[in-house]
Parts: sequence; C-alpha cells; structure tokens
Amino acid sequence: MLKIIQSAGQTVFSRLDRLFSAVFGDRANPLYHLGALGFYFFWVVAVSGIYLYIFFETSTVAAYQSIERLTHDQWWLGGVMRSLHRYGSDAMVAVMFTHMTREFLFDRMRGPRWYSWFTGVPLIAFVYASGINGYWLVWDRLAQYIAVTTAEWIDWLPFFTEPIARNFLNEAAVSDRFFSLLSFLHIGIPLFLLLAMWIHIQRIAHARTNPPRRLAAGTLAALLVLSLAFPALSQGPANLDTVDARVGLDWFYLPLYPLIDRWGSGTVWALVGGSGLLLMVLPWLPYRKRDPVAVVSLPNCNGCGWCFADCPYSAVTLAPRTDGLPFDHEAVVNPELCIACGICVGSCPTATPFRRLTDLTPGIDLPDRNIRELRERTVAACAGLEGPARVLVYGCRHSAHADQLIAPGVTVLTVPCLAALPPSFIDFVIMRRQADGVLLAGCNRGNCHYRLGTDWTTQRLAGERDPRLRERVPRNRIEVFHGGRGWPDSLPEVLVQFRARLTSLAPLNEKPPHPAAKTPEQQHGAD
Amino acid sequence: MALIDWDERFCVGIASVDHEHREMIRLINELHEHIGGGDSVAEFLGEIYARISAHFALEEKVMRERQYNQYADHKADHERLLDEIREIMDDVEDKGSYQESILADRLRNWFGDHFRTRDARLHRFLEGASHG
Amino acid sequence: MARVLRAIGQVLLYGAFAGVIGYFSVRPVYQAMAPDQALIKLSFSHAAQPVGACHQRTAEELARLPPNMRAPEVCPRERSPVTFELDLDGKTVVRAVLPPTGVARDGAARLYQRFPVQAGVHRVRVRLRDNVRDTGYTYTREGSINLVPGQVFVIDFNSRRGGFVFK
Repeated sequence: MLKIIQSAGQTVFSRLDRLFSAVFGDRANPLYHLGALGFYFFWVVAVSGIYLYIFFETSTVAAYQSIERLTHDQWWLGGVMRSLHRYGSDAMVAVMFTHMTREFLFDRMRGPRWYSWFTGVPLIAFVYASGINGYWLVWDRLAQYIAVTTAEWIDWLPFFTEPIARNFLNEAAVSDRFFSLLSFLHIGIPLFLLLAMWIHIQRIAHARTNPPRRLAAGTLAALLVLSLAFPALSQGPANLDTVDARVGLDWFYLPLYPLIDRWGSGTVWALVGGSGLLLMVLPWLPYRKRDPVAVVSLPNCNGCGWCFADCPYSAVTLAPRTDGLPFDHEAVVNPELCIACGICVGSCPTATPFRRLTDLTPGIDLPDRNIRELRERTVAACAGLEGPARVLVYGCRHSAHADQLIAPGVTVLTVPCLAALPPSFIDFVIMRRQADGVLLAGCNRGNCHYRLGTDWTTQRLAGERDPRLRERVPRNRIEVFHGGRGWPDSLPEVLVQFRARLTSLAPLNEKPPHPAAKTPEQQHGAD
Repeated sequence: MALIDWDERFCVGIASVDHEHREMIRLINELHEHIGGGDSVAEFLGEIYARISAHFALEEKVMRERQYNQYADHKADHERLLDEIREIMDDVEDKGSYQESILADRLRNWFGDHFRTRDARLHRFLEGASHG
Repeated sequence: MARVLRAIGQVLLYGAFAGVIGYFSVRPVYQAMAPDQALIKLSFSHAAQPVGACHQRTAEELARLPPNMRAPEVCPRERSPVTFELDLDGKTVVRAVLPPTGVARDGAARLYQRFPVQAGVHRVRVRLRDNVRDTGYTYTREGSINLVPGQVFVIDFNSRRGGFVFK
C-alpha cells in the first residue's frame, strides 16, 4: 500500500524534477532546496516582523489602527514589509509541506534518518501556532473569527477552569492584557520554532540551510512583486458585538477552521492529534531491518579522515587510536547514525581494486557489499564484453534503472550510490582495458538520495576533492549522466552517443612504454 | 640485499608519518625481493599504491592542520608520484615483463627524491613551528 | 535561445508560485454563516451552592481544633451541579446539567455555546437551578429580542447582578 503511494508520488515528482531542472538548472532546482527555502522564508518573515513590531501597538483599539497606518500611509516600506511578512509565512507553509511530501515519497526517513523526519513533525505545529498567533494580532474581522474559533477549539481540552472563549464573548469582554500576551507569544513561539529548526538539522553533515543565491533572489523578487501588486490588507476593525457571515481566510494557515465550525472541536482535535501521531511513527511503518553498517578495519586505516569528511550523516568520526599503532586517529562508525550508503567506502584511499585480492580489505567497508566483491563483480561483468565500444555502466540504486541498458557490449553493475564507488575503480576498468568506457548513471545533481553523493562524485572526477580520479585517465572515456527517475528515456540515448564517441577514439596503448617495462633484449639494444 | 635503506633524512618528526615511511620502505624492499614472478609484481605495486595513497592523505592532513606554507607544491608532487606509480603499474601489466634494475632504480629514486626534498622541507617547517 | 527560454520558464514558474500564494492567502472567501443570520452566544461560569447545608460548630468541636482553625461555620466543599435550560420561541434548544469543575468538585460550572439563528424577533426564556436541595428553577428570565443580521447576542449569568444578563 505504502509502496504504491510512494511509487506513484515518485513518478509525479520525478517529472516535476525534470521540468524544474530544465528551467532552473539542476544546481538551483527549487525542488532540491525546499528545506533551505523553508529556512530562508523564516528569515524573510523574521526580518519583516521585526520591522512591523517597531510600529505595532498592543492594545485592542490601537493594534488595528497602527497596522492600518503602516499599510496605507507607509505603503512603500511598512506596507511592503507587512505583505512580505504574510506572503513569506504562506510560502513557508507551502515549501514545508512540499518538502515533507517529497521526503516521504522518496522514503528518506528510514533507519537513522527517522530523526530528521521525527523532529520535523513538531515544526508543523510551531509554524501554525506562529502564523495563527500573528493573524490574531491584526485584530481585524479575520482576527476576530480566529479568536473565537481558536478559543473554542482550545477550550475543548480539559485544562482550563474558565473557557478562554469568554474573553471574546463581546466587545466588553476583550482585555488589553490578553492582547499583550498574544503579542509576547508571537516572539516566543517563533523563537521556539527556530530552536526546533536547529534540532531538525542536527544529524546531517553540511546541512543546506541557505538556498542557492539565484533561488533566494528569485523567490524574494517574486514575493516583492506580489507584495506591491496585491498588498496584504486588513478586513475591517474587529467588533465582537457583530459577526461576519463571510470571512477572507488564509487557506495556508486556516484550512481547519471551517472544519471546526462544521465538525466540532473534538473531531478536529482527533484529526490533528491522530495525524500528528501517524506522522511521527511513519519511519517505522512498516518496520524494516536495517542494512549492516560500515565497518572499520584498523590495520588498513591510518586516520586520514577522508571518510569523516565525506559522510553525509556525521556517522563517521575520528577518535584517538586504540590499537597501539603510531597513528593519531582511527575512524569510528556510530551504528546509530550510519545508513549504509557506502559513501565512506568510496572515499577510502585503500579501497582500490589494484590491490592483492586476498588482502583487499579497505580501511572502511560495507560488510554485505564489500569492495572485494565489487572488484570480482567488475572483472566478471567486463569479461563477457565484446565488440567495438564496450561499456561498463555503474548505476546507482536510486536513480534511473540502468538495467534497461544491458545489451551486447554493455554490462551494468549497481552500486548503492555513485559516491560509494572509489574513483580508482574507473581507473582500473579503463586503464586495464576491461571496457572501452565507463558510464556512471546517478541521481540529478542536488537530488542524491544520500544528499551529497552527486556533489562528491562530480568533485572527485574534476580533481577538486580527494580521492580524485587520476588525471591520466582519459576523461573522454567516461560519461556521467546525472539524471534520475525523471529521465528514464534519456539514459539509452546517452549510452548510444557515448558508444559512438568511443568508437572514434584512438586505442589506449598508443604511447611509448615506460622504460622499466622494456624487454631485456630491447634494453641491451639501447646500450 | 635491501633496495632502500632507512635513512634518518626520511624522518619528518611525526610518529605516524615516519611509521608509514618505514612501512613503505619495507614494502618496496619486499617487492624487490620477490621480483621474478610476473603477477605478484603487479599486485605488490597495487599494495604499494594503496598504502602510498593513504599515506599521502595522512601527510596532507598533517600539513593542512599545521598550515604548511608549501602545501600546494607538496601535494602536487604527491599527485605526480601517484600518476607515476600508476604508469609503472600499467606498463608492467601491459608488457608482462620489465627490466628489474630499471624498476628498482625508479622506485628508489622516486621514493628517495621526494623524501630528500619535499619531506625534508616539511620536517624543517614542523621543527621550526614547534620551536616557535 | 535556450537561455531565453529558461529565463521565460523561470519567470512563469516564479509567477505561478506568487500566484498560488497570493490567491490562497485571501480566497476563496469562507461563508461562516448565512447572510441573514445572527449569533446567540450562551456562556457563563457560576459557582453553585454547596450540596449540603452548612452547620455551626459547637463549643466542644471548636475546642478540639487548633486555635488557628476555629472557623465557626463549616460547609461541605462539593458544589451542586447547575441545571440549565434555554427555550427559544417555545422550543427547548439547550438543556444541560453542568458539573462543578475541579478535582474536589468545588469549582465553577461552565457553559459555552454559540449557535446561529435567523435574524428577527424571537422569544427567549432561560432558567437555572444551582442548588440540589431546591426544586424548580432558582433563576429565570424571559424576553423578546429583535436580532439584526450579524448581531451577536450574549446570554450571560452573574449571580451578583441578580441572575441572567442579556447583552
């Protein structure tokens, strides 16, 4: 059941990914930066809110008027700030839910990733509390409606001796002091929200909390244009002695309010409480066994720190040496945090297929998908290749299905992530002529299932990040396709063009042999 | 008889780095002893390549941490050396045979050169840094 | 050419983003009630009478107590439930027995309800009993109200002001 929903959702999002990547480029694709955009909109709302707060007066009479003055008399700054505050808050809700949906559909909350998901659920509550609280402060007709309905909803809980709703019975009942409390809460709750956001990104290395500059500028510009064209307005001063038949609701924040009216507070509490609980236990529905975590081999680890630098989940750390060798550090895997993506193995300098097969234990390895087995699979797969343009495809498990490419002269191996493949394997395959070319098929850049794999692969191949692919490996024999599920039709085409290019390349062995490799006869001849 | 003898000039002053230098020399000397069987040469070179890669990684980490001012140049030499080893490995693999003395000479010069020049410079820098 | 297309695409997508936000921020307008309706809000918070009679302590009982605890009159802590009825145009629309709040059942009984009614003239009768030892209703009020659309009519209860309060 869950699989069906996720599969359908992934198809939809993959199409959207492709469209947005075409328009924005994969580096600035907004769908890959939803969390960062959430943070960004928080700052937009916070900064505009600070400005508004300077002019806001906290009494039931003056609140509305102070905002009216700001909106109309100072429309070019205060009014814009107010609109940015409102639309930024709406934008935050929009990206938050899209972000949540995406992470759910792509199953990115399993195993140790439960932490990120679980800590995200309270964020929804804090965002909504902040937003509803904010609308309340305007003290217009909408605020009045919110006040009465929210009070009645909260009164359903058995905590209060007097119904809060009595504070909003009629005009005479509303007190300035309650208003000051709301105003104070509107600073406190967003601060808690910020704390919760910080907690939310804790078990992630290199957390992206800033969107690419282009995206930040673009979304801000979009919100600014919106603010100037359709400024946020109040809906007339509140008057609790009358009630409006029609209310202009902000559907981002208030979709449940008509439900409270129609179904009653109790039902909506059940809905909210039930959904919240369901969301929180989602990482364990259904319960799945975790993949075996990475294992360090101390005789092969000198504490160089490359795995530590590359792990996207901060699961590998460097600790003081315990085996007596004169190295300062050793790598240590935290089994609570390791999701077995294998990126650490791809980064280890001793994870190279050139070694003695019997000794092929790298400093860090995945026990169930180890490097020795990968070497054997690689050699076996290439052994059956024939023909002019032999290609070995390393495909990542989470991107476009590379198995469709299997054909005469083409063989496919699956790896958990492209960054789990040590670059020396590419060197091994090409320079030992086991294949004429290597095709790497991975996720769209910025959309790696394990967050950083595409970045690391690109940088390693470009020689910008260690372990780097040796420069002498001809790059025209390597093709990297950063597509993903959204590009199922593109991969075969890429392969065809790659093979065409390969057939036109000069063979590898057309260079003078190294002096040490001359035969004894040749050597004597040179004397 | 060993191909390369340990020389105090190979010391950098950092226990882990010096340990790995000794390991390198041991491996190279072992290779020198076993030269004669084709396959094992390639594999031995592979072991040396893996160890050297890890060693360079550790050395570079130390250089970064101590903010060595010749880091870029030293690292470039590491990359060059790794390229050379790969070239030796490929050619040994391709030709199936090799000239023993040439290989030995190349390894000794390669190893000794880098140690005598850049690693010695690093040693002086680290000594200077620790004495203030 | 591709760059121009991408730029246009971005403008369109940003525009769609702004459009969705701008639209759902205020529309569609929500119809909370029918336009010809008014609202009756029924709410009070009333501490009822104790469940039993108070009794005066005798001299011996007082003597047995420590000097700082010699209150002459002692009343049972628990309060009576409040029985309440609201009749609108002859029909009973609300009938409730409201328990006192609090673990020791000595707090106020509370009621809060609101419901829309057609605008116009209505006859209202409210009755309340706050003592289990009484029969019949202790407080009553009747009246005729004329509601305009959108008006909020509050029925409150305050024993210090004599009973029901219509606002």
